Amino acid sequence: MKRLLLIGLFLTGLLWALLSFSGLANPGEYQSIVLDFREDLAVGQLEKELGAIAQTYGIQPVPNSVFSQSDHLYIVDGDAKLLKALRRSPLRQATESIAPNYIYHALEVPNDPDYPKQWNLRSINIEGAWDNTKGNGATVAVIDTGITQVIDLKNTKFVKGYDFVNDRVDAADDSGHGTHVAGTIAQSTNNQYGVAGIAYEASLMPLKVLSAEGGGTITDIAEAIRYAADHGADVINMSLGGSGDTSVLREAIDYAYKKGVVVVAAAGNSNGSSAAYPSRYPHVIAVAALDATGVRAPYSNFGAGVDISAPGGLTVNGNPAGGILQNTIDPETGASIFTSLQGTSMAAPHVAGVAALVKSVGIEDPNQIAEVLKKSARRMPGDELNQYGAGQLDAAAAVKLAQQGNLNARHFFGWLRENGYLSLKFWFDGGAVALVPKIIMVLGSYLLAWFLRVYVPVSLPLLGGLVAGSTGLFFLKGFYIFDLPQYPFRLLGSSIPELGSAIQGSSVLNPIFASVLIPFALIALLLSHAWWKWFAVGSALGVAACLAVSAIATPEVLWLGSGAIARTFLAFNALLCFGLAALSAKAVHERTAT
Amino acid sequence: MSLTVEGTVQRSPMGTGTWALVTPDGSTYEILKGGAPKDLLQEGLQVKAKGKVREDVMTIAMIGPVLEVKSFEVIEP
Repeated sequence: MKRLLLIGLFLTGLLWALLSFSGLANPGEYQSIVLDFREDLAVGQLEKELGAIAQTYGIQPVPNSVFSQSDHLYIVDGDAKLLKALRRSPLRQATESIAPNYIYHALEVPNDPDYPKQWNLRSINIEGAWDNTKGNGATVAVIDTGITQVIDLKNTKFVKGYDFVNDRVDAADDSGHGTHVAGTIAQSTNNQYGVAGIAYEASLMPLKVLSAEGGGTITDIAEAIRYAADHGADVINMSLGGSGDTSVLREAIDYAYKKGVVVVAAAGNSNGSSAAYPSRYPHVIAVAALDATGVRAPYSNFGAGVDISAPGGLTVNGNPAGGILQNTIDPETGASIFTSLQGTSMAAPHVAGVAALVKSVGIEDPNQIAEVLKKSARRMPGDELNQYGAGQLDAAAAVKLAQQGNLNARHFFGWLRENGYLSLKFWFDGGAVALVPKIIMVLGSYLLAWFLRVYVPVSLPLLGGLVAGSTGLFFLKGFYIFDLPQYPFRLLGSSIPELGSAIQGSSVLNPIFASVLIPFALIALLLSHAWWKWFAVGSALGVAACLAVSAIATPEVLWLGSGAIARTFLAFNALLCFGLAALSAKAVHERTAT
Repeated sequence: MSLTVEGTVQRSPMGTGTWALVTPDGSTYEILKGGAPKDLLQEGLQVKAKGKVREDVMTIAMIGPVLEVKSFEVIEP
């Protein structure tokens, strides 16, 4: 029976390894096959081989170019089936290789002279997306300080907008903010002038709701959202935020969502652990900001409500190189200038632009567009504080995923998140916990208790100890209440070994906590207590399971690194914990027997 | 909802630039520019400001609750 269990345990480990194997990358596309004949082949023999191919497969091999004949490099049209047949044929002996003639694409590099300064566009992998779409057919409403058609927006398409501040049709910018945001979305690109924009074949809808001083009322914002939804906008960008929750704004957003509009908003710049309004509303994609190194910018909000992250820039001591460069107006003179700004205001339009790209390849439903953006984002490992939401925005991956089109798998945490949103009081980060290792830790701790079943009776304190030692109430780790600190939930959601790094929200284990020390102290203190001793024994078994799984899966330990030293440390302490539990349970057993 | 906030007036680079009132415990308010008393907006000024939080206003700077200052007095550091 014990052997059976050990085999079971081994198979679980194997299955896990297989599940976490992501598979080989897509090897590429080809429509022809390269035949590289041996160089020592006589001319007559080569011709004989070429004739045989023509006869057997009905295709004529041709030299790749005039230079190919000396290398004996020939091409035939064909697919994977022919490739397989050729590789199995006697032709093999006459060739050095028979291989797919992979097609390489030159990436789209625009000719805008200051494009090299746009680190932000390269960091979202925009060139790979431009191969497929530039956003043609999509309309993005920019709800902001207005848009002035500066020189580098001359080739960009516009649809009619509105100025809700001054109640007029012309929604020109008097601040420089809205024009900058619009530039990130659809700056005229490949026009040999200035800089590039993300979805530069999309149309812009200028909606002015904020004054020259950068503020505006929620009534104007709500009206602008409804205007956009009623006038054919596919995406709304709101690089604005505040602290008030109002039904006017929430209902406007729901209205736009029901009309099929994707709503994107900035998470806010107060370095707080909750997204600002309106980004935290349901059906709004809240965007946190990254600096040029891909790390969350120090001003950006994070935590509750943040869905994804994108470049927002960081201009340290006024140095513009780390900011987001676009063409806008000088608010003092109204002249066209190129300037670098920073903020989640700059991050949101990156997501809005990519949403327009996704829309233009045929995804209609706003839920599905949000899903594509999040699923294709580059996940950030160890993001315990939800600084990055689903991850860093990736335009090429998003467009690729959108073209594959199979997007119906809505997982459990997605459902939970939707329902968490309903009350707008709490929020759940489904990505905070890697589920598989946690489940193995819980099961493993039960298994260890089962090994000692002769000495250890199953009881409530034992089960409590197993949970506390192995995983904690791990589902609480990603639980937030808006505008309240999250660390109490992180503490409850951590096991004993994780406690040493729970407050600072790091996934790196602290070796003082991730060792036999705490179980030893608990057993020393509680072993004489009738009830709590089983909690102590359970926690030792739980910690043993947690450390053993960590030694294999995530062996990152403070000061010890993540290599052999850390693995040995964790495995050794796991053994000590199990030994400690076994010895003390045995001692208790013998004491009660006599 | 009227309130009194003590803190330091600071220039913030967020958005196209704005003014903040930062309290000693680190809370940041964004000073609503429209209607703010003229001599309030000076870098480093220590003030006791009376006003209200405008929950109906949203801004491009998003650095904290928007404070509409009605009156203020300079306090010695």
